[in-house]
Amino acid sequence: MFRKLFLVGLLVLAIGIVPALAQTTTVRYFTFSAAPDHLEDLDTIIAAFEEANPDVNVEVETAPFADYFTLLQADIVSGDAPDVFELNYENFVTYAANGTMLDLSSYLDAAAPFYPRALEAFQYEGVQLALPATFSTVLMFYNADLFDAAGIDYPTVDWTWDDVHIAATAIRALGDDTWGVYSGVQFWEFYKKAAQNGECQFFNEDMTESTINSQACVDTLNMMTSFMTDGLMPTAAQLSGVSDGDLFASGKLGMIVTGIWMIPAFSEAPFNWDVEVEPMINQHANHFFANGVAVSATTSVPEAAAAWAQFLASSEVAANVRVESSWELPALNDPAYFESYLSQTPPANRAAVFTALENPVTPPVIVRQSEMQDTVNALITRVVDGEITAQEALDQAKVELDALIAP
Amino acid sequence: MNLSRSPSLPIRTNTSTPARISVRRVLLYAVMIALVAIMVIPFAWMLSTSLKAQQYILETPPRLFPNPLTMESYTGLAERIDLARVVFNSGFVAIATTIGQIVISAMAAYAFARLQWRGRNLVFTLYLATMMVPSVVMVIPQFILIRQLGWVNTYTALIVPSLFNAFGTFLLRQSFLGLPKDFEEAAFVDGANPFTIFFRIMLPLNMPAIATLTVLSFMGSWNSYLFPLFVARKEEVITLPVALGVLQAGPRALTEWNLVMAGAVITVLPILIVYLLAQKWFVQGVVSSGIKG
Repeated sequence: MFRKLFLVGLLVLAIGIVPALAQTTTVRYFTFSAAPDHLEDLDTIIAAFEEANPDVNVEVETAPFADYFTLLQADIVSGDAPDVFELNYENFVTYAANGTMLDLSSYLDAAAPFYPRALEAFQYEGVQLALPATFSTVLMFYNADLFDAAGIDYPTVDWTWDDVHIAATAIRALGDDTWGVYSGVQFWEFYKKAAQNGECQFFNEDMTESTINSQACVDTLNMMTSFMTDGLMPTAAQLSGVSDGDLFASGKLGMIVTGIWMIPAFSEAPFNWDVEVEPMINQHANHFFANGVAVSATTSVPEAAAAWAQFLASSEVAANVRVESSWELPALNDPAYFESYLSQTPPANRAAVFTALENPVTPPVIVRQSEMQDTVNALITRVVDGEITAQEALDQAKVELDALIAP
Repeated sequence: MNLSRSPSLPIRTNTSTPARISVRRVLLYAVMIALVAIMVIPFAWMLSTSLKAQQYILETPPRLFPNPLTMESYTGLAERIDLARVVFNSGFVAIATTIGQIVISAMAAYAFARLQWRGRNLVFTLYLATMMVPSVVMVIPQFILIRQLGWVNTYTALIVPSLFNAFGTFLLRQSFLGLPKDFEEAAFVDGANPFTIFFRIMLPLNMPAIATLTVLSFMGSWNSYLFPLFVARKEEVITLPVALGVLQAGPRALTEWNLVMAGAVITVLPILIVYLLAQKWFVQGVVSSGIKG
């Protein structure tokens, strides 16, 4: 009797275990950039990957960008991080410093033609913790019809912000609801424009003291706010909930400084528009952003996860799908992809995307990064609101930044 | 109690002239119409925006009546998200949660209102105290629990945590307490046990409160965003509000407000239907329990 029971038990176990052994490895991939417009494109990439790796099954989880990092943190805290996850360059350092990502150096295919600047962006203390999947730059988009109506010449690569001021004044004169220019006044724009000035540094070379209240920095901040104080750029109250991108897309804004991720959104705008490299103060300096894919440090399937991350970041299929669907630009140094990308219009001057890469600027980085950004942003907001002058704000910023870098 | 007035007291009679009545009426109606407009205009605007093409949404001056009128945002929405699937998910979760909440709340409320047991008031106070903890605070601990139970991306995760509702129990307990004990005693004399009394006396006589709880818990579950966002990430189980969340483009694209509003119209419809069906009882329930949602 017991023998029979034992045999039946074994049989049941075998029935349970055999399919389990034959099961494929499942890789959980968490993304913010796919939904809702590129889910089918992602499916195409996954199908190609699973065909090449029949024993791996990729499961996709999506979340809206606004909630993505809250969910990712919750996943990591709950001890069940997704095997592979997407993250942007701005969040990379925080996640890297917390040891949440697997060192990908040993899995990296040396032949993968990554754009070197993008690959470096995802290294932390010399370790490759994520792979660049896409990159983007920031350009000046302009409404050519408004330039024609105002009778002024289109922007060129040699433009300075003084030229922008003149053009914005002419466009603003076209009507009460037509604005000249929009270029954000906040930390990210400030360090970039500081680099365009060339003389304005947030810290001295030894990183022992903040120099953010130098005359060059005060001049830079004053230049940034002058568009608002001169009535050429709408304030947050004047925008009253309409985003700067919406304002441009509705044909009521002459120039906007924004990322190339807006190209698809503007492509159906009912007016002629083009792009140019962002104007300079004394020299060119441009933002460079990248989205990367990382493998969780706690994944139980590191090989399969790293293979998927690499396929997503550098395979020919993934690169082609991205270019053809305008799903950002693959971070690959291969002219073939760029040619296909450049042949799409608008904008006619798409080559500016690559010109901007010649002068990339990186943010000043300190250990207490987010506190620095919050401090500077809060003070800049007070300048924008007219509560304090640029000099007063930056004097205060120096005191606070000195405290943040104090040993 | 009969409060008949003594003839010596001045009796307020309606001596106003018809003209005065109509002035008061007009004023009253004007205020009521203004209040209705304040409530209705956002909905009208939502419907109007959902019937506009993308390029007309931000036109100045804004128009309430779309011209041209188009259904493209509804077809666009259906292309972006699997509407049938997410509406089914939301409906299934909302109905299951509502039924579960009513059954559990009513049974608990009956125990708290009528059954005699040691520590009843203490347990009831503790149960009520959970209402003082903001639900947002519970999201992460509940999510960690759900992860450890392996329930992420299942209907179970969406339904089970919301089944136990202190507010619903409180609402029904107050309603049960308002019922004269005579009914139960009569039934008891006739040989009914507590279960019979619960199902055949308490439930049928408390329909207004149950209808109120039905509307409130259906609405709560149907509109719920934060917790489903955490526990339902896959298309198979994602609910309508979470699916619509991805249409809010964030800083790196333009939000297509006509699609968002089309989604909002679809979200509002079932709530309106449930409310209209339970309206008569709902108002009675709110009035008699002195609670509003």
